[in-house]
Amino acid sequence: MSSVLEPIPPTVLSVRRLFNADPALVRGYGGDPARHVALGLVTCDQDDAMYVALDEATKHAPVDVIFARSFYAGAAHASGRLSGEVLGVIAAADPQAIEDGLAALLRCLEHDACFYDADGQRTVTVFPHVISSLGEYLSAEAGLAPGEPMAYLVAPPLEATIALDAALKAADVRVVRITPPPTETNFACAWLTGSLDACEAAAVAYAAAVVDVATTPKR
Amino acid sequence: MSRTRTLIAALRAELGAADPLPPPPPIPAIPAPPARVYTPRPERSGYAAHAAKHTTALVGIGHVGTRYATDVVLQFQAELAVAHAAVDAELPADWAAANGFQPVHTRATDHREFLLRPDLGRRLDEASLAAVRSQCTRGADVQIIVADGLSAVACVQSGKALADAVAAACGARGLTVGTPIAARYARVWLEDEIGQETGARVAMILLGERPGLGTGDGLSAYVVYAPRIGKTDGDRNMISNIHARGVPVEEAATRLAALASAMIAQKTSGVPLDLALLGLSRERSPRPPQVRQRLVTRGAP
Repeated sequence: MSSVLEPIPPTVLSVRRLFNADPALVRGYGGDPARHVALGLVTCDQDDAMYVALDEATKHAPVDVIFARSFYAGAAHASGRLSGEVLGVIAAADPQAIEDGLAALLRCLEHDACFYDADGQRTVTVFPHVISSLGEYLSAEAGLAPGEPMAYLVAPPLEATIALDAALKAADVRVVRITPPPTETNFACAWLTGSLDACEAAAVAYAAAVVDVATTPKR
Repeated sequence: MSRTRTLIAALRAELGAADPLPPPPPIPAIPAPPARVYTPRPERSGYAAHAAKHTTALVGIGHVGTRYATDVVLQFQAELAVAHAAVDAELPADWAAANGFQPVHTRATDHREFLLRPDLGRRLDEASLAAVRSQCTRGADVQIIVADGLSAVACVQSGKALADAVAAACGARGLTVGTPIAARYARVWLEDEIGQETGARVAMILLGERPGLGTGDGLSAYVVYAPRIGKTDGDRNMISNIHARGVPVEEAATRLAALASAMIAQKTSGVPLDLALLGLSRERSPRPPQVRQRLVTRGAP
């Protein structure tokens, strides 16, 4: 119980810019070559922290998230030293927007979004993140308005199931999306919304429940 | 600070974790936006520099990049503020009586109405008309009227001094001067009605002029022969910029007295008046350039 719920800071593995990307490449990765000329590419060993950080970038710079995908089986089974478990691509019309967006993204990864250790040995982890104000990217993904709060909750399969029940019962929140296991990284995910206070209460209940399951897995 | 990290740290304390969390990474300082430094470029044109010596207008002020220098902008804003304050100022109601003038009012009932209705500022109200008829000397050579006009600041500052100096200068030329009158909320043409009622041969109104940039304390003097309601601006002679940095009060008083005696001698005023016969040796000499009053000083770069 000694080091439970310690933050596990995400490790940024690569950050590269493409200031004049080929239109065919932009189109292939889901962008619009008319608006997306410059790209910023980041890999990181925590996919959900990266999604939150990409959303953060859209709040600080006129950038669009054109590509963000997790890799199968997560960072522990990555295809290379720099792959991690997610590649995020932000795109903009000019390089300065990319610089501003990357700065916000890296700041969020360093100081805000991260997994937490749920059992003191980093063998069970939980991502009970509260976004107080959604950016352009996750609001579009969630079908909510930009600026609304959202709880972004991730944990391993059984832990996530028990914890989601606890979160939904702990506060006046409603489900935006439930992604049952397995996902690409074999975690389970839930997005909840409500008032900011409710989202925070739900996230805390979620984290507490994951710790509880991690401590007493058989009962 | 991350809200989520704070929440989870609180939950961690609640669950009984004793060991301290590792310190959060320091938040890097957000760099200031790059400062683009433009060097002020003084005006290098010799013509502009020469012209600037003869006017307080904004010529020869140079530039910084595509803009004015900061001190020029601040000076402009300060001068505009002086002008606004002068227009906003009101002549105190007891100023006339306290300085030995016969107080009169126009038909404008308050300052706002005075600013918006020039026509009301050109006529006396009933009480003032009766006072002028009963209290003032009739048939004087020169009737002097001090008024607030568009700058009560100027009137309070030098109205009394100018009226006294003009009266003395007129007396020195052997002209009789009527009861000095001070008018509140007054426009230039008020002198026609007052002159008509007092039967003066020349009416002279000394009033605060429309403030310009940095000049909120200037008086103007308008002089008309045989004042009657209906006289036009073509019938008047005037001297403007009567203030310390323009025409000094003593010089203005000398010229006004000369104007009044020339009007009485030629029995006309305005356009028909022959100014060459004023008999002032300095009249044709060039005026020394007006010096700009610095309201903003420029610090070391």
